Amino acid sequence: MLLNLIIAGLVLGSIYGLIALGYSLIYKASGLMSFVQGDIMTVGAYLGLTFYHILKLPFAVSFLLSILCAFFLGMLLEKGVIRKLLNKNVMPIYVVLATIAISYIIQNALMLGYGSITLFYPSVFNVTSVKVWAANIQPEALLCLGTSLVAMVLLHFFMTKTKLGTAMRAAAMDSVAAESCGINVSLSTGITWGLSAGLAAIAGMLLGPMYGVFPILGATIGRKGFSGAVVGGYGNMYGSILGGILLGLLETLVAGYVSSVYKNLFAYIILLIFLFLKPTGIFNERAIQDV
Amino acid sequence: MDLPNRPKKNRTLLNISFAAVALLIPLLAGGQEYTLLLFCIIEVYIIAVSGLDIVFGYCGQISLGHAAFYAIGAYGTAILHNTFGLPILLTMILSASLAALIGALLAYPASKLVFHFLSLSTIAFGEIVYQFLIHSPGGITKNFNGLFTQRFSIFGYVFRTNAAWYYFGLICVAVFLGAKYYLVNSKTGRAFTAIRENTHAANGMGINVRKYKVMAFATSAFYTAFAGAMYIHLASYVHPDTFTQRQSVLFLTMLLFGGSGSLLGPIFGVVSVELLIESLRAFQDYQVLIYGVLMLIVIVALPGGLYGGFRDIAILGKGFLKNHSRHRLDKGRE
Repeated sequence: MLLNLIIAGLVLGSIYGLIALGYSLIYKASGLMSFVQGDIMTVGAYLGLTFYHILKLPFAVSFLLSILCAFFLGMLLEKGVIRKLLNKNVMPIYVVLATIAISYIIQNALMLGYGSITLFYPSVFNVTSVKVWAANIQPEALLCLGTSLVAMVLLHFFMTKTKLGTAMRAAAMDSVAAESCGINVSLSTGITWGLSAGLAAIAGMLLGPMYGVFPILGATIGRKGFSGAVVGGYGNMYGSILGGILLGLLETLVAGYVSSVYKNLFAYIILLIFLFLKPTGIFNERAIQDV
Repeated sequence: MDLPNRPKKNRTLLNISFAAVALLIPLLAGGQEYTLLLFCIIEVYIIAVSGLDIVFGYCGQISLGHAAFYAIGAYGTAILHNTFGLPILLTMILSASLAALIGALLAYPASKLVFHFLSLSTIAFGEIVYQFLIHSPGGITKNFNGLFTQRFSIFGYVFRTNAAWYYFGLICVAVFLGAKYYLVNSKTGRAFTAIRENTHAANGMGINVRKYKVMAFATSAFYTAFAGAMYIHLASYVHPDTFTQRQSVLFLTMLLFGGSGSLLGPIFGVVSVELLIESLRAFQDYQVLIYGVLMLIVIVALPGGLYGGFRDIAILGKGFLKNHSRHRLDKGRE
């Protein structure tokens, strides 16, 4: 029972972690909050379903294709909408509302395109369960854990070891100084949004085979992902992952041992507690307070 | 805010014509109950959005959780009336006061948070209230079944037609907008504006920033909760799904569409957005899609809102080529 819950918690936690990671990347690169992250995750799940189930491509190929599509969707979002708004020098609330509007558009468009019923992936593996110690685990859950771990490690090396990753961190830290060093800040901000969207698509592709896919799959997870990001320290890559995993674990344990009715309440209560008492999160990311 | 240079007489004339149109609407609707109902809902939204305007337009604090206050008002009045049999008007004021108290309790710790994180805390608050509505202890909110109310009556007068309700709503709108007018032109209102323009400077001038932020949130919650109480007595039934985050976003859209930080802005915004949504009713499946696209177009093309747009044209027409108000709207809250 406990082991099952822990694995389920880790699975959910790694999804929250991927979403929260996207939030942190975007916040670091452009100081903005994106409310479409969850819906891009849904798009990723639907794209994966289309490639894998309808076009009958291998799972790995459809996985990469849907990440690629999401990457360009994220970049398009930044270049087409966010950058335009920022250039107009509007109040920040308009950027928030623009992302909310886009999330409505995505949800409704998916509903029109695929219908509002839950669609299921055909199983990715031939076996239905794997025995880990005493627990029977869905192989898709292990895939989810492994892939998100790999994605996070790859991202870490990309950000710290490659030239582009270093340039992106520099652009996020001080855009004027980075610009004067010859870094294309506009491009690197776009890539950051694309990367975040790609991470969301990974989450969608991993969650889809377990939960099924429906148009508002990502809406709730996207909102709870904020909780993970704040717990870890908003804007901190590693903090977001840790915060997401902690949140997933705690939420699953609360649902298992205390009450499943208040499961959905838990993430928001944690979010409020952290915002009020420790807004800088576990990793003590730079102060986000006023006065 | 009002135009500084517009002659006083002109404004009185404008107010009188507004009042006349508002009073004549039931006659113009010619007994069409549905049209009248639409105007009743517009009245409810005007109060709710004016409340949001106090906290957002004047004090510069963002809220994406006002649907929660709306819910507290609606459920509060119904539960108080159904369980304790208190007079309806009293329960409306009580539930709005409760919402103001909750708003103050939320704003006290939240007042140190900046923009994005304040919006996150209000989203979390909205979700918590929504979860409470659908999983209430003891089922006092009737969860997913929704809550019914008894027929709306005040001092023994029973409201049977939408026209009667419309005039009740009109009185409420007049009272709340009047109160808002006095509030924003008072010392408190000036403190709100100072906080919006520059929090640090306001603090340096001796304004107790936290106190005024809490006051703005509480007042705003009172307005929106009272509107919620009006709503439940208009519809005589509520379902928890009325109070999701989408409702909060709708309030904010109406406010920004009309133009924030003014008395007339919320009215413009509510009327235009409500009529727009009503005209989309034929395209049920595409409604949210069209709504999202329109929202995006307005955000990208008309960031000052309708009222801001009108005002700019009016100012240009009067020869004030220096586009002062638009500049303030765009640059104000960064």
